Amino acid sequence: MHAVFTLALKDILQLWRNKFGLFWVIAFPLLMALFFGSIFSGGGSAVRTMKIAFIENQSSDAQAFLAELQRSEVLDIRPMSLDSARASVARGRLTAYIQFIQADARQASVWSPSKDSIQVGIDPSRKAEAGYLQGLISQAYFARISRKFTDPQEFRKEMNRSLESMDSAYGLSAEQKGLLRGAFTQLDTFMSSVNAADSASAHAGNPFGSLNLSFTDVANVTVGPRSSWEITFPQSLLWALIGCAATFALSIVMERTHGTYLRLRLAPISRLQILAGKGLACFLSCVFVCTTLMAFGAIVFHVKISSVVLMSLAIISAAFCFVGMMMLISVLGKSERTVMGSGWSILLIFSMIGGGMVPLMFMPPWIASLSNLSPMKWCVLAFEGAIWRGFAFADMILPLAILWSIGFVGFFIGTIVLIKSES
Amino acid sequence: MLTVKNLSKRFGSLTAVDSVSFRVQPGEVFGLLGPNGAGKSTTINMIVGVLVPDGGAVEINSGGSPVDPGVRRNIGNAPQSLAIYGDLTAEENLRFFGRLYGLTGARLRERVDWSLELAALTDRKGDRVDVFSGGMQRRLNLACALVHDPSLVLLDEPTAGVDPQSRNMIFEKIELMKSEGRAVVYTTHYMEEAQRLCDRVAIIDHGRILDLDSVDALIDRHGGISNITIELDPDAAIPTDLPGRIEDHFLRLESDRPLEQIAQISARGLVFRSLHVERPDLERVFLNLTGRRLRD
Repeated sequence: MHAVFTLALKDILQLWRNKFGLFWVIAFPLLMALFFGSIFSGGGSAVRTMKIAFIENQSSDAQAFLAELQRSEVLDIRPMSLDSARASVARGRLTAYIQFIQADARQASVWSPSKDSIQVGIDPSRKAEAGYLQGLISQAYFARISRKFTDPQEFRKEMNRSLESMDSAYGLSAEQKGLLRGAFTQLDTFMSSVNAADSASAHAGNPFGSLNLSFTDVANVTVGPRSSWEITFPQSLLWALIGCAATFALSIVMERTHGTYLRLRLAPISRLQILAGKGLACFLSCVFVCTTLMAFGAIVFHVKISSVVLMSLAIISAAFCFVGMMMLISVLGKSERTVMGSGWSILLIFSMIGGGMVPLMFMPPWIASLSNLSPMKWCVLAFEGAIWRGFAFADMILPLAILWSIGFVGFFIGTIVLIKSES
Repeated sequence: MLTVKNLSKRFGSLTAVDSVSFRVQPGEVFGLLGPNGAGKSTTINMIVGVLVPDGGAVEINSGGSPVDPGVRRNIGNAPQSLAIYGDLTAEENLRFFGRLYGLTGARLRERVDWSLELAALTDRKGDRVDVFSGGMQRRLNLACALVHDPSLVLLDEPTAGVDPQSRNMIFEKIELMKSEGRAVVYTTHYMEEAQRLCDRVAIIDHGRILDLDSVDALIDRHGGISNITIELDPDAAIPTDLPGRIEDHFLRLESDRPLEQIAQISARGLVFRSLHVERPDLERVFLNLTGRRLRD
């Protein structure tokens, strides 16, 4: 093992000194993750806002409704005229506009507040945004009604308006009107004894119980990435592995063409030890680079690893798989140019169909089926399984077993071909 | 030290090495002299165990096979192509190869320092090899073959493409190895090098050893006659019965015993203004053996 470690350390030192190789192994994968992560996330990890217009309306109810809407972090609201808003939405500068049309004040009351109407202008193709906006509008509107109920002054105004309606109402006997007037008077006396602050704090126990719309945070149990970084960082790990495999495959060819392989063969070590040294260097580099990139993603972009143990297994298995692929690539030709050309071509094709360029989740079904042939697919699947797919160990067995199998077969075939080419 | 018996190797229809046999003793520099493609490097690769011979055998230190790692520890090889890492420093190269041969700790440090001194690279030990001149790289290539203190050293064209200063330095190191009792197998197509360094030389062509002996013996056997040119005093009378031919006042003759011939002419009382003897060399030996020049 002393000789194997000596060989591995030498190769790692050479990689460290090779700025071009380091670029492909570390810098390029990181750039890929940052570039595509930024594109898919819309410019950062902050909440993405929906730009809408609110049609100018100076009424107190409209302003109260606007104030409720503005409480939402998701909406970026600009007051403007109806014509300007229509034009902006039509040209795609704004997602939608909202127009608050107040009902006749004499008809509206605390008992029947839904006479107000709200019109939303939005492109019919933006169904997702329309549904989302509908929810936000409902939330704001009912929050406004709830405030009316819990504000004693507002409530008393509404009661007085109801008493006036009752006096002019037909079909009520004088006795019934007297009973109702007594009840309203007692209620008014009660409300006058309640100050606004107390009322607000006692909101939950309001006997008139307006629509109590509230949201409770519930952990998302559906399977899916929590951010674009959770898609791009597994891809960046894949590119790092590709960079390692290509770099070390090239180093084997260079050993052969530059004569150092002959000197290694003359040393009192077996051929298997030489190849094991190369493999170990490649394996350690793969593990180091993947761990570094993943740690960077976790710290800077909050990529959440669901299972550190499974992630470790995924990285180790992927690294082993790429050691086997490195051996196979190194025997594709006898010159550096041949190996670099054919090696990168094969790796890129595998990467293309295996989720290295287009994420697996966005692939059309026929490519998704084709991707089963690519070792890259199983790498990405294992990484994603440990990050956001919520894999249990049993789910991981298949991708890990495939990765180890590819690693063994690649190393075996590569070694045999190398030995045959020497004799 | 090294015994090669009827070694043969074929690559398809090409016979690269054909029944090559020789022995090398400790403290001897043995030369394999032949043109490019004669089979020298193939022979070396079979001696060190990298190539499996189709026939024959190699014995090192009384019966050891070069395939045995224990035997390989006693072999140092400086391949024809530079077998060093350009992106490592001279010291890192030596430490790496020393470790591969099992050296560690103080012994490794001692041998690395010795090798750096041998290659005259002590003051450049921390520099990356890819900034070295061709001669410095060749010297390091040689030092890497010696870092583990082998008793059998195989040098395959060790002076290819180096400057005269580095070439002389390499010659001095080979003479040092010989004085230390190491057996050296030296392949070259430069007959001057073989003539200067080698105790015995095997002339090899098309994979076969044509003859093998000391340089003098080879020249005596295959070199032919020496060319002698004597410039006589133009004012003195020149006898007409002198051997050879007179051109102006130059006497030109050929002889297989040049010193005796010159002594006989001088005994006749002639005054020599100058004397030039062109002795046959290994180039002539090769020409006479193969009908071709070494560098054809």
